[in-house]
Amino acid sequence: MKAKIYASLAVVITGAVLLYAVTDFPNFGDPHSPANAGVKGGAPSASIYYIENTYRDTKVPNLVTAVLADYRGYDTMFETVVILTAGMAIFAILRVLRRDEDTEEAAPVDRSIDGDHHRIIVGITCRIAVPLIQIFALYVVAHGHHSPGGGFQGGVMLGASFILIALSGSLSDALARLGESSFIRLACIGIFIYAGFGFLPLLVDRNFLDYGALAGLLMTDGEEMARSHSMLGVEIGVAMTVMAVMFAIFANLSTRGRLQGGL
Amino acid sequence: MSDHFPALLLVAPLFGALIVGLAGMRDHRICLPVTLFALVVSLVSALGILLQVAGNGPLDYFVAGWKEPLGVGIQLRADAINSPLLVVIAVVAILAALFTVRPAGDRDTEKTPHFYILFLLLCVGLFGITITGDAFNVFVLIEVTALSSYGLIAIGSAKRCKVSAFHYLVMGTVGASFYLLGVGYLYLKVGSLNMRDIHQILASDPSLVDSRAIRTAFVFILVGIWTKMAFFPLHGWLANAYSYCPSGSACLLAPLVTKVSVYVMVRMMVSVFGLDHLEANVEWGHFVVWLAVIAIVAGSVKALAAREIKKMLCALIVAEVGYMVGGAWLGDPERWGLTGTVYHILADAVMTSCLFLAAGAFAKRLGAVKLEDLSGVFRKMPLTAAGFVVGGLAIIGVPPTCGFFSKFYLIRGGIESGQWVYVVALLGSSLVNAVLFFRLFEIAYFGKHPVESHGHGDDHGEGHEEEAPEVRIEAAPNALIPLLVAAAILVLLGIFNGPVVEFIRSGLIQSAPIVSAAG
Repeated sequence: MKAKIYASLAVVITGAVLLYAVTDFPNFGDPHSPANAGVKGGAPSASIYYIENTYRDTKVPNLVTAVLADYRGYDTMFETVVILTAGMAIFAILRVLRRDEDTEEAAPVDRSIDGDHHRIIVGITCRIAVPLIQIFALYVVAHGHHSPGGGFQGGVMLGASFILIALSGSLSDALARLGESSFIRLACIGIFIYAGFGFLPLLVDRNFLDYGALAGLLMTDGEEMARSHSMLGVEIGVAMTVMAVMFAIFANLSTRGRLQGGL
Repeated sequence: MSDHFPALLLVAPLFGALIVGLAGMRDHRICLPVTLFALVVSLVSALGILLQVAGNGPLDYFVAGWKEPLGVGIQLRADAINSPLLVVIAVVAILAALFTVRPAGDRDTEKTPHFYILFLLLCVGLFGITITGDAFNVFVLIEVTALSSYGLIAIGSAKRCKVSAFHYLVMGTVGASFYLLGVGYLYLKVGSLNMRDIHQILASDPSLVDSRAIRTAFVFILVGIWTKMAFFPLHGWLANAYSYCPSGSACLLAPLVTKVSVYVMVRMMVSVFGLDHLEANVEWGHFVVWLAVIAIVAGSVKALAAREIKKMLCALIVAEVGYMVGGAWLGDPERWGLTGTVYHILADAVMTSCLFLAAGAFAKRLGAVKLEDLSGVFRKMPLTAAGFVVGGLAIIGVPPTCGFFSKFYLIRGGIESGQWVYVVALLGSSLVNAVLFFRLFEIAYFGKHPVESHGHGDDHGEGHEEEAPEVRIEAAPNALIPLLVAAAILVLLGIFNGPVVEFIRSGLIQSAPIVSAAG
């Protein structure tokens, strides 16, 4: 009880301090706020630069993707690494690898007889829905630099489609399509693709993640198109990692790290 | 390639982690060599950066080549404050990697690849936090560091590893959120995330520094970082997390994670908000010094009360964090306190590494967990014990180890700023450390019950290979060599403190010119 009082006190104080500072903020949506226009008398802010120059620099109409995958692509690479780290940490904590404990639950729960009757509607619906979800997810990944979307969103959809298979059928169905070794591998390959796009420019003495250097390799006319194509490349890497880690976390959590039986 | 050391520094351990993930799952034997190779590449890059900074001054690296205008892309920046820390991180990580031949305890060897992936990702995070020049990028890499350290703590098979990792996770998440809130508030007012850009904007408009949002931002960033470094009232997570986790993880986490957080605080104070602005606008600086004094006292008392070796070392970390935060906030005009803090970040990283390596070696060979378990250890493991003694002397602050010199600079800062309580706390804590370690040395040298202690050894034994009571059972070379290297570095860092401190001061003066006594 005492702990609860202290905790609520801390929360109230923190909230009060945060609100106290809010009165000092620029107005919501103010085009002249520092974040939008830069401080008064100073240089224009980065947002102005992005709005004015993104298309010239990268030939990517979606500013958000360009900022995320090119101008601040270094941050995004590490955001993807955060996802890999989370997946690996969950494996390290939950996954049960010892054989002797596996035998306890060796007999998998048999759902086929009872399950089929109850799940026929759900099963058929999901069987129709999953390919559509996956195709749409691929579109979201592939079209991320032209319209809203991108690797994170598309990856989440792909991961969700596998989780849907696991929920509507059984986890072993889903694991048969995307097994343990393949999701670790996919998660690593995803970042490998991203970091690879970053590393290749170093070989021709350009800075890390400077996609413009890949113009020759990607056979594009001009560095801008190379940036555009490389963004697609790194988005694909992000999608692979996100998909694999999403499903890996689900599979580990739902089976307490045994990756069999489960829901 | 030498222009790209800042990128190579991070990319090497990142690719190392991916290679372990792709190939190490099949063949566990490649995990350790890949890890070591990646870290050696990082060490070479860190040394290269250090040499370039020493030769040509601060080194800027613009990721993806987005240079103009400042703040459009992400900037990495190495100067005299962080380039020595990069080298220390690489060295301590290599020593910890050598120590981990069977990392996750005896039973969970199948998780070896997971351990090394997290190990390397933690190094990526630490290097990244240290070298970045972007306030938001710090947050992203704090996340990488935090998530991998939760994994490294919870990978131990004991249940209490998981519980302490969960406690750490809650506190760590709160700390990271506070930091992010602070950076968000800062961004709303200045419209930039680049540290140098923020500093210039704040310097150009004094009313901005005094505004409520910026003050709140500073407080939130500070409290967030304090949680991460286990500064006094926020230190609850540290003791269990670092003492219950596997020895291999402890040797990496305990020396580096808190120290890098202290570095982030120094960086925020010196290069983002600016020391002169803080001195002009922050009225509660001396409260922080008082908090630091309480941290030092609390850590020392807890260390005196501790019955287990690692618990004692963890309590000492809390006290050492108190030294460093206090030193940074002394505000003496010549900046000796801050110099002492930056030097102590380096010194304390190596000291903690040395002591945790020794504690890990004792635990592995003797199953020594409690202080009494060390009895007679000088006879059994003379070289290991010698390494432990050097680490202990450094923590106490005996010349010529580096501990003496860092305390010297901190005390000089305390005297020049007139913060006598801090000076007294520092000296008192050194006395307590002397009592602690000489008590331990006494147990270790004159210990009367070597046979009984062996009984203990069997109870807790993590890896009991050959056990002969009367024969020398020195630690395995993979534990002994890193320990002795760490001990040697402690002495070398102490002997060559002059040039190191001069180098650090050149960086501090560049980023925050010393106010002349008259002005």
